[in-house]
Amino acid sequence: MKALMIVYNQAHNLLIMEALDKCNVRGFTKWEDVQGRGTFKGEPHYGTHAWPSKNMATLAIMEEEKLQLLLKELQKINDEAEKQGLRAFVWDSQPVI
Amino acid sequence: MKIYEIAVKKPVTTALIFIGIIIFGLFSFSRLSVDLYPDIELNMASVMTTYPGASAADIELNITKNLETSLSTVTDLKEITSTSKDNVSLITLEFEYGTNMDEVVNDIRSVLDMQRNNLPEGAESPVVFKFSTEMMPVLFLSARTSGSPQNLYKILEEKVANPINRIKGVAASNIGGAPEREIQILTDPRKTDAYKITDEQIAALIGMDNRNIPAGSMDIGTETYSVRVEGELEESSQLESMVIGSYMGRNVLLGDVATIKDTLKERVTEVKTNGLRSASLVIQKQSGANVVDVVNRINKAMPEIKASLPPDIQIETVLDTSEFVKDSIGSLTETVLLAGLFVMLVVLFFLGRWRASLIIILSIPVSLVAAFIYLMITGNSLNIISLSSLSIAIGMVVDDAIVVLENITTHIERGSKPRDAAIYATNEVAVAVMASTLTIIAVFFPLTMVSGLAGIMFKQLGWIVTIIISVSLLVALTLTPMLSARMLKQQKKGEKRTNKITAAIEKILDAIDVFYAKMLERALRHRTRVLTGAILIFAASLLLLGIVKTDFFPESDNGTINVSVELPVGTRMEQTRKLNDLIYKDWSVKYPEVTTIQSSMGPSDGSNIFMAMSASGTHLISYTIKLTKSSERDRSIFEIGDLMRKDLEAIPEIYRFNVIPGGSGMGMGMGGSTFQVNVVGYDMQDAEMTAGMVRDILKNTKGIRDVALSREDYSPQLQVVFNREKLAMNGLTLAGAATVVRNRINGVTASLLREEGEEYDIVVRSDGKYRTEIEDVKNIMLYNSQGKGVRLSEVGNVVESFSPPAIEHIDRERVIKVTGNIYKRALGDITEEVNKELKKLDIPPQINVQVSGSVEDQKESFADMFTLLLLVVMLTYIVMAAQFESLRDPFIIMFSLPFAFTGVFIALWITGTSLSLIALIGAIMLVGIVVKNGIVLIDYINLNIERGISIKRAVVLGGKSRLRPVLMTTLTTILGMVPMAMGIGEGSEIWQPMGISIIGGLTVSTILTLIVIPTIYASFHARNIRKIRKKGRRRDIIINKA
Repeated sequence: MKALMIVYNQAHNLLIMEALDKCNVRGFTKWEDVQGRGTFKGEPHYGTHAWPSKNMATLAIMEEEKLQLLLKELQKINDEAEKQGLRAFVWDSQPVI
Repeated sequence: MKIYEIAVKKPVTTALIFIGIIIFGLFSFSRLSVDLYPDIELNMASVMTTYPGASAADIELNITKNLETSLSTVTDLKEITSTSKDNVSLITLEFEYGTNMDEVVNDIRSVLDMQRNNLPEGAESPVVFKFSTEMMPVLFLSARTSGSPQNLYKILEEKVANPINRIKGVAASNIGGAPEREIQILTDPRKTDAYKITDEQIAALIGMDNRNIPAGSMDIGTETYSVRVEGELEESSQLESMVIGSYMGRNVLLGDVATIKDTLKERVTEVKTNGLRSASLVIQKQSGANVVDVVNRINKAMPEIKASLPPDIQIETVLDTSEFVKDSIGSLTETVLLAGLFVMLVVLFFLGRWRASLIIILSIPVSLVAAFIYLMITGNSLNIISLSSLSIAIGMVVDDAIVVLENITTHIERGSKPRDAAIYATNEVAVAVMASTLTIIAVFFPLTMVSGLAGIMFKQLGWIVTIIISVSLLVALTLTPMLSARMLKQQKKGEKRTNKITAAIEKILDAIDVFYAKMLERALRHRTRVLTGAILIFAASLLLLGIVKTDFFPESDNGTINVSVELPVGTRMEQTRKLNDLIYKDWSVKYPEVTTIQSSMGPSDGSNIFMAMSASGTHLISYTIKLTKSSERDRSIFEIGDLMRKDLEAIPEIYRFNVIPGGSGMGMGMGGSTFQVNVVGYDMQDAEMTAGMVRDILKNTKGIRDVALSREDYSPQLQVVFNREKLAMNGLTLAGAATVVRNRINGVTASLLREEGEEYDIVVRSDGKYRTEIEDVKNIMLYNSQGKGVRLSEVGNVVESFSPPAIEHIDRERVIKVTGNIYKRALGDITEEVNKELKKLDIPPQINVQVSGSVEDQKESFADMFTLLLLVVMLTYIVMAAQFESLRDPFIIMFSLPFAFTGVFIALWITGTSLSLIALIGAIMLVGIVVKNGIVLIDYINLNIERGISIKRAVVLGGKSRLRPVLMTTLTTILGMVPMAMGIGEGSEIWQPMGISIIGGLTVSTILTLIVIPTIYASFHARNIRKIRKKGRRRDIIINKA
């Protein structure tokens, strides 16, 4: 199993949900209203006067074969609106309970 | 969940709520009545006391002074004026606007009750009148006949006045000028003297002979009969053979001593319409009824009424007060629609996309319709003020929606889904939008608290704009994001404006952006130069303040001119009539714009107070002249009025005249304004002399017409002076003798002739032949109780004299008012010139000269306006300080205010408009409108700085990116005002100065704000940064030392 952490501009909310559904990824955990900024050039997302946008984070757990599909979808979303900001990170994960 | 989130997620609910508002608004709109102004309760009451037999001076001393002193304790009293004439004292009390007049009248009553015992015994109880607009007639009709005028009165009463009275909302219709039938018994004094019969005896006998008397009832057989004596005359010819006494055994018939005429009343008001003898019909409405409704109902019933009349009687409308109302409202509605159209064009031009423009444009009707709901709930009417408020608000309602939509489009262009973009983009700008709306409310809400005359006008303006702007905020935060989420499409990369036109517009706008950025950079490099330049421009504009004229209220052309012509007192009716015909012929040829000239002359026969209050006499002619609509003629009523003045001046017989363009329609910005100088002082001669000098000054002042003194000329009179001793010796009383004199000259109403349900007076008086010279009065025979006759000349004398004028008071002091009408010159200028001349006068001690009239109102209202301006500036500062959480930034934004005033002065100067109350209100509104631009600009520059950009770059970038929204909201407001500033249509002159000052102020201030405000901002913040650096350096030094 793989864990995929997607951190994205909250404006992408619907698109991410659609992508998850499209790839049959069932399990995920989502945080609304998270803040952060990109490592290289990504704009800050603080929800302040100067940086009004905010991020959301989704931690999705899925089988390996679904991961590639989902990453492709995410790449498409990011390509369409690069400035909005979308990052994904992958871990290995072991189901315990 | 935030409100915009709910709106986007529940589009059906949102849409239906707004559809509900629109339906309710339209429903309210259909129920609104139309009127010229909001309901105004007139702030005047008057107290009339009669004291028969007292002279003006007696009245002043014994009644007026007493009552004035006690009445001045009534609360909220503003001014107390009075006129003491022979027999009558009339005190007028003026109260602050907005005073509850019912309470005031109660107060006055209780004061009068207390004073009752201090009044002279012979005085009658004082009567209180409350003035109200309701008393003003709504419709003047005239009836002409080519047939016999004999029956005109009766026909009019039965066929016109009565049916009109039955119409809902009509209070009364009075017929004036229609000759009323009267049976005249004209006695020949020589014959009555010979038969030793007096007129009083004849009158008593006629009264006795003309009676039906019930004599009880009788039982005859099985039935009861009532017994009646029928003695009433059936026709006037029966009088001829009435036995009035016997002489030497023969019966004396009435016909022997008198001529009996079944004819028309002797002294009546003569009304002529377009040169033809006619009768006037004055129709008053019930209080609370709507003018337009009432007149519409009457006009609807008119064809039926006209059909029932004999063919020789023509009925014409002379003055229809509802017409001006309808025209004004009609042209204002056009103004509002035109403003809406302009705003739509601006939106379309800047956005270039149909869908986006539609979303913005939708916010206009939704917000405006809310105003109708407010009007209906508060029971107001659709009037000039409420419609103008709509026209003012229309350019501002789209502002919030534009800001929201602009941000949503930016998000969509960056790749968000419209639905998400709608929610998050609205979230980003919500606070800024609310703040800028609050600044507008901070300006308009205080308007609801203005007192005085201005308060009545601006209360509705304040409420309506506040409500509309609040609703537009709601629309921007709910409907706009909801519609954007549904209607806006995500654009693929590179797919931008494909249309040629839109592409061209985009190119122009881009060029402007670049140009502005360059300008801004240059300005930042030469900060001191820009700032000194700005200060110089503002200072120079202050110089204009000396050139721009000041005025109280703009004049408006309602197509009516009232003229009153006064011949020397005592001129006979025939002379007056001749002059009237001459003037009519002259004017009807000279002024083709005139549609109707109605003249009335002669003594008033009016039974209603409206007619009784106006002066009347055989030497007076008053004209009501109706002209074509102002849009259909080149010359205004003021120009025509002035030409008429010249015509009247050329007629030597005329003693004085007064031409009032616009009619005396109770001020309120209608027609021209008046100029008045009060000469206050007790000594009559000194005051009169001073007043004469003041009159000469006013006559020589340019722009003042119809100068007149309020103290009338002494009028000639014949005074009968009885010798009491001689009266007593002859067994006569003064009252008895005086009554006889009155009966001979004025006549005595003996009885009434009843015919077909109508009653006509039977009047006994001396034949006209015996009432022509002083000797006739001297020859009047007085009989004592023994029947012995004495000539008047034996017990008294007839002296020719002049009756003293009325004595007027203002605030309990004697006053002579010198008044004039103003023509084509600003009130402020005239005041200045007159004041200068007045200073040169050598005024006797104890005499005081003050300028009053419209000037006084102007001063008061201007003072009110400046207080209001201060209040508004403070409120907007508070709102901005709260938004920026800073004291400095709002201060910087406030720098755009002086340039707004610069713009106002320049615009007024270029258009030659004077600074009136309305223009001032425009300037006050500018405070809120102008700072909006500053807020948008500074807010974005702040944001840039917070993002860590250097000040200079932040300023330039911020300016460049905010230029379009600023230009767009400014242009919508300016173009929304354009129809108003052009002043098309009836009654629009009143609001023209407001449109002009807002356009001027907003244009100049926006252009300067865009350069100067960023420059000032940079200067302030640069110093701030230097300070921080200095602190840092100092810390370095300390650290180094350590």
